[in-house]
Amino acid sequence: MPEIRLEGLVKRYGAVQVLHGIDLEMADNEFTVLVGPSGCGKSTTLRMIAGLEDVSEGEIYIDGRPVSHLEPKERDLARVFQDYALYPHMNVAMNISFALRLAKRPKAEIDQKVRQVAEMVGLTEFLDRKPGALSGGQRQRVAMARALAKDSGIFLFDEPLSNLDAKLRGQMRAELAMMSQSVEKNMIYVTHDQIEAMTLADRIVVMHGGYIQQQGTPEDLFKRPANKFVAGFLGMPPMNFLNCDVETRGTETFVTGAGFDLKLQGEAAQKAQSHNAKELTLGVRPSDLAFSQNARPETALTLDVRVSEYVGAQSVLLCECGGASVTVEVNSETPMALGETLVFEVNPARVHLFDRKSEAAL
Amino acid sequence: MDRSHEKQNPAFYAVIALLVMMSVGPVILMFVNSFKLDVDIISGTSGLIFMPTIQNYETALCDILWYEPDHIDFCSLKFGGAFVNSLIIALISTVLTLVIGSMAAYALVRFRFFGRDTASITTLMVRMVPPAVLLVPVFGLWNNEFCFDRDGLIGGAIRDAFGGRGDVCLAGTHSGIILIYVAMNLPFVIWILQSFIVQVPRSLEEAARVDGAGPFQVFFKVILPLIKPGLAAAAIFTFRIAWNEYLLASALSDRNTKTVPILIVNNMSEFNVEWGVIMATGMLLAIPPIIFTLLASRQIITGMTAGAVKG
Repeated sequence: MPEIRLEGLVKRYGAVQVLHGIDLEMADNEFTVLVGPSGCGKSTTLRMIAGLEDVSEGEIYIDGRPVSHLEPKERDLARVFQDYALYPHMNVAMNISFALRLAKRPKAEIDQKVRQVAEMVGLTEFLDRKPGALSGGQRQRVAMARALAKDSGIFLFDEPLSNLDAKLRGQMRAELAMMSQSVEKNMIYVTHDQIEAMTLADRIVVMHGGYIQQQGTPEDLFKRPANKFVAGFLGMPPMNFLNCDVETRGTETFVTGAGFDLKLQGEAAQKAQSHNAKELTLGVRPSDLAFSQNARPETALTLDVRVSEYVGAQSVLLCECGGASVTVEVNSETPMALGETLVFEVNPARVHLFDRKSEAAL
Repeated sequence: MDRSHEKQNPAFYAVIALLVMMSVGPVILMFVNSFKLDVDIISGTSGLIFMPTIQNYETALCDILWYEPDHIDFCSLKFGGAFVNSLIIALISTVLTLVIGSMAAYALVRFRFFGRDTASITTLMVRMVPPAVLLVPVFGLWNNEFCFDRDGLIGGAIRDAFGGRGDVCLAGTHSGIILIYVAMNLPFVIWILQSFIVQVPRSLEEAARVDGAGPFQVFFKVILPLIKPGLAAAAIFTFRIAWNEYLLASALSDRNTKTVPILIVNNMSEFNVEWGVIMATGMLLAIPPIIFTLLASRQIITGMTAGAVKG
């Protein structure tokens, strides 16, 4: 399946530059997810790959061939649209076979392909229906089937699940994950939902403000975020950030702030010491805090519990720590009362440190 | 509150009855009179009690009847020919207007080009020019400018094929009338189709492009089927104007290309007005637009784009 390479991709709308030189390589058979908040340039990037948007600067290569001046149909790709974009005057079978009919394939081949794809997405009984007579989930499947029928090596998804309700979204997400394993295609998936990104991706590309913030495997990005933005964007509930200062006491390195005085260990200590700015931001994931009344002070965070959100086995506590808000994930069985001041133990191996000015990870 | 059970004001029904009378009355009058002899019509005493006759229809249709009606010695009315002229002119001008209009509307809606807004507004302003203003210049142009010299190559060939003496001009040809009708109706058609094309989601076009459709395939396979209701409305409008138009056709047609409305007026002379024949021809004139409107209005279905995209 084709390899896609973006080189210094720039997009301007008049004087406004929305993409600032995107460099990206998508390997064979890879499921790449572009993720970021609204307006970060991820959809624009996808549209440029599809050929629906002009390239202002830079070049897109598919299998080493520059394609930025080619029409969409010359790029051999399929695309699932956010709003499905089904042809309302055609029934499901006609929708699925549209590309094949345009390519003037033999009728027998088209019929066989339509049946095969419809079976794959579970639409066999609906082939004669018009899109208007289908539910949201079924329309989504038609959109998927239409792209699958095209048999092209590149599969572009533009927020395909964002119009579905939560339950259906979860179900379709699982089906997508299954499909991506069974079809050999190079998939590029755009979403603003970090859960979709984490669950589906072989590789996540986090974008923000028209720049790529970081790319790598979901685990990589979760464990070693390159900057504060990536750290805060991935993971649910999001990472907590607390302003802190670095202090060296003898051979040991501490980060101190309102409500905590943590001793750093290993790599983190070395990095904090060698970093020239002493004003840092401490990042701790809600899941890396554990309720523990007798934690030692150098691993403890003292929090005032404000709100408790019961979500089943887990509860999310919204707390306050020296003016900053901190969320903690705890077992729902943990006995506590609102308004209490509690001590939580921080897993010292899992703290993240960022430069307060540049927001880059140390 | 269920409004259907509300007690209605009798004045409401009176107004409706009046409106119905005003719109249907003339048609009934025409229908009834078309079956009367001129004496009965003019005497004014018979009212609804008279001896119906199809004599007027026989006179009107004398050139296409398979028998010769007893009451006429010479068939002067060429209804058949005029009817064919009307059909040719109305249908071709409608088709041309729709084809050109839909493409122009698509371009105005979807393409960004220099002067787009100006073009859009100008088309609508052209619509505001009354046909009577066009009449004199168009008559002059059609008769004097858009001609093939009778000794020239093309003019000579046409003259040899179809006969005639003078230069071959647009005036007096079907094309001449069709051309002016297309020009007259285009602005409105472009304007009405624009509003339909705007409603077609852009992502549908993008999907078609990704699926491998070229610009014309996008237009004919995706856009056109979706604006069918708009096309039908525009077709009804265009056809009716072309079918009923009198002023321009009276000036630009000749003996062989005159349309039915002009034929009807030919029944009036300073000595005699053949009311019965006029009524009968009028009834016949009304049939094609009715059929056309019924056929076309079936295409006007709302919610064509339902299910294309998520709300």
